[in-house]
Amino acid sequence: MRAYEIVYIFDSQLTDEQIQEKLDRFHQHMTETGGGELGPIDQWGRRQLAFPIRKRTNGFYIVTQFSAPGEALPEFERLLKLDEGLLRYLIVLHEGEPTAPMSIATRSRSEDDDDDDDSDDDGDD
Amino acid sequence: MARRGSKTCPLCESGVRWINYKDDKTLSRMTTEQGKILPRRMTGMCARHQRQVCTAIKRARYLALVPYTGRSVA
Repeated sequence: MRAYEIVYIFDSQLTDEQIQEKLDRFHQHMTETGGGELGPIDQWGRRQLAFPIRKRTNGFYIVTQFSAPGEALPEFERLLKLDEGLLRYLIVLHEGEPTAPMSIATRSRSEDDDDDDDSDDDGDD
Repeated sequence: MARRGSKTCPLCESGVRWINYKDDKTLSRMTTEQGKILPRRMTGMCARHQRQVCTAIKRARYLALVPYTGRSVA
């Protein structure tokens, strides 16, 4: 078993229920067929993409941690690739970063997009 | 951002343990206006942190948190 982290980007035009339903299906597959264990799920919600993906400018971000045997991943990824509503996903080894803290801070600040209000927290000399 | 004051790595000094690839605000400060990753001669980072930042930015790009090129979304 290894610890992984996955970021899903769903099509933001899907309803919340549709997204939840897909997510449940993925996770059910992972725990039952793949023999993995789910960790915390962090829903970032809808946010603007830095560039269009499949002609969508917004995506619904969900970050999840899980642990699973490595052999279970190819089958799991196949399932993800088959899903039309999933714009993109990224599975990486989880190395202790939080799913949330920084993303939450970023989320609350990303609404107003000024670059000037940065409070620089790196100590000079 | 691109300053070259102290000789020590800014991330080591502030005690950063890992770089979060989901933290687009911080990562975007480590890129140029065009979205290029700042070189070590600008950031002054140690090799390990520069490498981690590099990986983090590339992951963030794939996830459309940070643009591959340019800042505006048009």
